[in-house]
Amino acid sequence: MITVAPEVNAANTQKLDLTNLTPEQTALQIKNLDLYYGDKQALSDVSMDIPKGQVTAFIGPSGCGKSTLLRCINRMNDLVDTCRIEGQILLHGENIYDKRVDVAALRRNVGMVFQRPNPFPKSIYENVVYGLRLQGIKDKRKLDEVVERSLRGAALWDEVKDRLHDSAFGLSGGQQQRLVIARSIAIEPEVLLLDEPTSALDPISTLVIEELISELKNKFTVVIVTHNMQQAARVSDQTAFMYMGELIEYADTNTLFTTPSKKKTEDYITGRYG
Amino acid sequence: MIRQWFKSGSPWIWMTGGAVSISLISVIGLLALIAWRGLGFFWASPVHEFHIQGSVEQHTVIGEIYDREVVPASRVRQSGVDLGDFQGEELTRYLIKTGNREYVELDFRWILETDIQSQSTPHNLAVFERSKNGNFYGYIEQVIENGQPVRGDKVEKLEELVERAVELNEQALDLQNGDIGHINYELERLRLKERAYELDNELTHERAAELEAQRQALRDQYKELEKTLFQLRDDAKRDQVVVKDMRGEMVTLPLYQVLDFWLPNDMGFFAKVGHYFGQLGKFIADDPREANTEGGVFPAIFGTVFMVMLMAVIVTPFGVVAAIYLHEYAAKNAVTKMIRIAVINLAGVPSIVYGVFGLGFFVYMLGGSIDQLFYPEASPSPVFGTPGVIWSALTLAILTLPVVIVSTEEGLSRIPSQVRQGSLALGATKAETLWRIVVPMASPAIMTGLILAVARAAGEVAPLMLVGVVKMAPTLPLDGNFPYVHLDRKFMHLGFHIYDVGFQSPNVEAARPLVYATAFLLVTVIIALNITAIGIRNHLREKFRALDN
Repeated sequence: MITVAPEVNAANTQKLDLTNLTPEQTALQIKNLDLYYGDKQALSDVSMDIPKGQVTAFIGPSGCGKSTLLRCINRMNDLVDTCRIEGQILLHGENIYDKRVDVAALRRNVGMVFQRPNPFPKSIYENVVYGLRLQGIKDKRKLDEVVERSLRGAALWDEVKDRLHDSAFGLSGGQQQRLVIARSIAIEPEVLLLDEPTSALDPISTLVIEELISELKNKFTVVIVTHNMQQAARVSDQTAFMYMGELIEYADTNTLFTTPSKKKTEDYITGRYG
Repeated sequence: MIRQWFKSGSPWIWMTGGAVSISLISVIGLLALIAWRGLGFFWASPVHEFHIQGSVEQHTVIGEIYDREVVPASRVRQSGVDLGDFQGEELTRYLIKTGNREYVELDFRWILETDIQSQSTPHNLAVFERSKNGNFYGYIEQVIENGQPVRGDKVEKLEELVERAVELNEQALDLQNGDIGHINYELERLRLKERAYELDNELTHERAAELEAQRQALRDQYKELEKTLFQLRDDAKRDQVVVKDMRGEMVTLPLYQVLDFWLPNDMGFFAKVGHYFGQLGKFIADDPREANTEGGVFPAIFGTVFMVMLMAVIVTPFGVVAAIYLHEYAAKNAVTKMIRIAVINLAGVPSIVYGVFGLGFFVYMLGGSIDQLFYPEASPSPVFGTPGVIWSALTLAILTLPVVIVSTEEGLSRIPSQVRQGSLALGATKAETLWRIVVPMASPAIMTGLILAVARAAGEVAPLMLVGVVKMAPTLPLDGNFPYVHLDRKFMHLGFHIYDVGFQSPNVEAARPLVYATAFLLVTVIIALNITAIGIRNHLREKFRALDN
């Protein structure tokens, strides 16, 4: 058995005390979250604070609940009829599962990018302004401005600026995924959830997206789910390791990968299962 | 050996391939038959002159060979015909279309091969197409222009005069249907207006006087137009042609009744081709004449297409909205399942049942209520409370609703969930996601439903007979009189036209080719409607190509 200690992001210098974040440092608080699909419990008693302006990665073997946890943050699990949730997720100190919460408004604040690129059957331009059009923004100048800013933000502008009105389906997979990111950041969310954003992409596109993620944390809080440990090590500041619906260990990436405190974490990152 | 062959799978391939071939052959055979029988009718077939030795005396028969049949000689003898010294086992008999309906008892007659003494196709035999009494066959003897016999080339002159008469007749008809029709329509509207005032007790003297003045103005206008109309008609009656028919008698045909004439035995191939397309054009563009057995079928084509489009406009939103509810909002439980099964089963209800429903619910209940509420002045004659094109369209919309619902639902279920989630993740509500993303992406499937609906609706006749189709509609549902679209009017339909011409017509033989031609046209119209819809669907498919890559 060869132990591969993944190379850790050198930028992770500033260490946060993850168990005791100040309100200014906190983007999200997950408190005692339990989630059931019918009778089956998919998450049990997950509690963690996600710091603002940083990249937090969820890792773990398939079926460990990391995507489920991510989808709780913008209430995507509402779409599953049999899904039942107990516990709280606090955004700005308010529980997003409160009855008074407008789910659409929450999702404007917490954007999400999925595993496979899912552009709409519209032009590149219309894909980017979709969220703005939903908000009733019609001003052409404003829309143009947002399109350029978002596409630049997603490192796609130079590649598509001459064909903004072509169908989004004409783009390559990696470009489509960056378009989806541009679409999400166009409405300026606070938190951006990335659900294995590179799992359907080739290595070069993956690299571009990873670079982009490091850029994005300057403006947004990023939460990323990945099955690729090297990727988590490269892009994230904090890493949470999950196993069988439980949060096993949550620490800054450097610590988690070099000196994991739990046996299960160590087994996982050294490739004993996964 | 045989086992090996069975194992190889070839019998399976042969069986499936054979089934496909048989289906294809029957479809192509059907189309070819109706096309041949229907479209052949417009070809200028040669006109023969037969000298017949009848049992009593010799006579001449002039006409087109319409049909031929081989019959056993014994059967002919049994029916009491003296075949003389004919030796063969079988003989041919011909059905001759002799035309000249008002001068001979039968315009179709069978003649036996053995009775024909001689047969020829004289090049100067002419066929006259007339607005009354069908075709006339004979030799042109004299052309009379304005009471004076024409010297020189009779045929050339006749062509010119026929063209003039046709032109004048058309002008008269335009005047009658256009301006005069408009005046009649306006007069009727004034009458209804007056009646409405009367019913509301608001008919003051001023109003009555005003209406009367308007009416008088219209009547004056009418008199002017009537004068012009009579002028045109008289003008058209100016010329005649004298024709020698097969009895050897001179018959004077007034040219205002002649629509066209041709010398088929004198025509070359290209002249015949030209004539063919001319006749075909008239069939498509003209109104029917003579109890639908002659002339064109334009009102029926128009009625069919108009009704089907109206139906499509009604059924699409209803079907799509119903499918969206069933698929997106309805709880996934036993009740929804029952509703879905019921919807699918609705497609199996016989169409005449829908017709009865349409008559009872739409025409009498809905139409009757509309009349009571909005058209009290027209009473006792109904406006909407009588079969009409809108009720036909509604009835067929209900008939085709299941098809649209089922295919829309299928389309909705094929939209990838990632795309829906992508929209939701951007802060769209479910409704916004539906209207902005899901329904546009499902539009090819909606079009498929519509294609099936149109194909079914365009071919339905039975329910329409109860809710709006008539043998002869004097006006189209679309014309130049305000409000231009008259959804309350009855209309003609190609499917019903086939039934009417084929089985209700006084002259079955004459109408038979028209049945085939109309059937061919109906198929063509349905195919054209479908191809249009398929074209739109392919365009949409290209636009909303799913996320395959």
